[in-house]
Amino acid sequence: MAELTIVRPSAFKQFRVLLGKELRQEFRTREMLTSMGIYALLVLVIFGAALSQAAQGFDILQVSGGLIWALIVFTSLLGLNRSFSSEKEEAALEGILLMPMDRSLIFLSKATSNLIFLLLVELISLPLFYFFFLTISSPAPSFWMASLPLLVGSIGIAGVGTLLATITSNARGKDVLLALLFIPIIYPLLHAVVAATTVVVVGGDNLVGTFATSLALAGGYDVVMLALSWFLYEFVISN
Amino acid sequence: MTDTVAIAPDIHLALAIQAEGLGKSFGSRKALDNVSFELPEQAFLSIFGHNGAGKTTLLRVLSTLARPSAGKVEVLGLDVREKPEELRSRIGLISHRSMLYPDLTAEENLLFTARMYGVQNPKARVSELLELVELTARRHDPVRGFSRGMTQRIAIARALVPDPALLFLDEPYSGLDPHAVEILDRLLERLRFGKNLVMISHDLNHGFALATHLLVLAQGKVALFTERDELDVRSFREFYRNSVGAGGI
Amino acid sequence: MRERTIFDSLAWMALLLGALLSTAGFVLAFTTAPMVKGVDLQVFAQIGGVHVDYQLLFSQKIFYFHMPVAITSFIALLFTAIYSIIFLVKKDPKYDLRARIATEIALVFVLMTMASGMLWERYEWGVWWTWEPRLTTYFILTLMVIAYFILRRALDDPERRATYAAVFGVIAAVNAPISFLITRIIPTRTHPVIFRTDSGLPPDMLLPLLLSMFGILMVAFGIYRFRLREQRLRLQLEDLKAQLED
Repeated sequence: MAELTIVRPSAFKQFRVLLGKELRQEFRTREMLTSMGIYALLVLVIFGAALSQAAQGFDILQVSGGLIWALIVFTSLLGLNRSFSSEKEEAALEGILLMPMDRSLIFLSKATSNLIFLLLVELISLPLFYFFFLTISSPAPSFWMASLPLLVGSIGIAGVGTLLATITSNARGKDVLLALLFIPIIYPLLHAVVAATTVVVVGGDNLVGTFATSLALAGGYDVVMLALSWFLYEFVISN
Repeated sequence: MTDTVAIAPDIHLALAIQAEGLGKSFGSRKALDNVSFELPEQAFLSIFGHNGAGKTTLLRVLSTLARPSAGKVEVLGLDVREKPEELRSRIGLISHRSMLYPDLTAEENLLFTARMYGVQNPKARVSELLELVELTARRHDPVRGFSRGMTQRIAIARALVPDPALLFLDEPYSGLDPHAVEILDRLLERLRFGKNLVMISHDLNHGFALATHLLVLAQGKVALFTERDELDVRSFREFYRNSVGAGGI
Repeated sequence: MRERTIFDSLAWMALLLGALLSTAGFVLAFTTAPMVKGVDLQVFAQIGGVHVDYQLLFSQKIFYFHMPVAITSFIALLFTAIYSIIFLVKKDPKYDLRARIATEIALVFVLMTMASGMLWERYEWGVWWTWEPRLTTYFILTLMVIAYFILRRALDDPERRATYAAVFGVIAAVNAPISFLITRIIPTRTHPVIFRTDSGLPPDMLLPLLLSMFGILMVAFGIYRFRLREQRLRLQLEDLKAQLED
């Protein structure tokens, strides 16, 4: 056999290889993105039916922030539930655990890929939401600022969701279980980002104050919960 | 005891595995109970026992996938509790599950592994391994379409990527067709030179034939640990039937 | 395993004393504690022959039950987190057992908090439910505690079950105060948060409150110890059965 030299790669290099593996798998099959995209579209259809009897003067802007986040939470659940299926199918996760590496990189790469997929689906489904529901009303000119709470909220969802999805990937009845663990834990974040999103879409007097407070709280949630998830991940992944 | 301390380092170098009072328990449930044995370098250890006897748990502890709850274990001179990462770069595992990503091609799976271990010329290493398992022609096909035997060959190539000094095999023959068994046999014959192999086996004759050392577990305890040449296969079968029972094999 | 600890013998006493103290607290709450001034009435009224221009809140009496129960449930959850962390460090199943029983206590008291909170709200605000910060937080808490037990049931391997439950227990315990903080700072638009500003309770209100507070804490402690002892004996029995089978 030829000369074999092995140099222990840096954590960043290993993170890139892991993330590259996630993206390559997904862009080959597009299983997760397709199912999330279709699901998002169907949720929009349901919104259409749900709002079909609302009165003429009903201001859709007041609830649009909430509807957007309902869409994101349900769609992300679908993706998170699938995010460990390729690791479990042939026990590939065990192969990774046998590699010389810092195991929190598994959390980091999974959370990053889940975030990327979630943002991609948002990129498609949110313009659709605008097209279906907001073209007749007039969002405040500050509506583009909603991208900030969208990013902060998605980061929190991907981070906490990755930890909880790892837990439920080993459990029976994992689909319902993930929802049951995930939604109460994500509730405070949801409360904050819905407030931040709504206020910039509706506009109004104390826009900056409410927006900044909500966003800061959502950011605080992200920092605390991501640090906690990172710290607890080693316990979840090794047995 | 004081006399042996001085020569201990030399002994450690010559041992592939040294387990002393190894236990793995949770509460009152003992998966492994006071397991002690010493396996020299260049050995082929076959592990036998019923389902639930602790074979897989022992393999998981030795390969750093599970932490022992009692005792001391050194694999290749490295303590599994204290230096798991160092140890991981020197061992490989082949189990009855392939540990591959079905949607990636054979080559992508191996390249991923090579890059994670830090192999310096990953492409060359992967080509070499594909050649070894005779699957160069299928390198660009996703693993999902492979037969059980082909998948297992890629799984072997995967375990060999960092050229491990110790290879663990967890029932590698389960579910293989005769042709694949033949290929795996040939590979193991080639691999055993310069390497240590530890295999869980369901097949008494086959496991006996390959081994240099035998370990029989019963209810988490060592029922037998011996060099193979101390026994012939008939008396081994007899021992196994009498001490562990005939069921399961 | 030790047969009986000092805490086990204390459990009876705690339970009895707790029941006495909290009963005394409730009795005092209805006899000596003054009524709390509520919202101003639009018209003057004669209540019990006294001319008043504000509403006296009889419904406030539930506070003497509600607050101790709420605090007890929070303390129980705190113990879930503490035992969970100890378990994760030591991997000793006895801490998993303690964390589980603390969560069981938390579930009982969280449900009582929810029920008393909703009763109060019904009489005070005229609705059974609002997304008010404290009520919302307790609702989330209830869901997390229920999720904790469903998670346990969904895992077969005892070590994995204990580990995952501990991890979730820690996250849930951290999430509870965050949830309260966020829902309180960012008010919902439909129901403005009403905060009472009267701080510093008069002594004849403080005494019954403290009595029922300590009483209910002691009851919770008593139940915890009994449940722990019962579960331990059950485990020992199962071990003996397993040994007999071998």
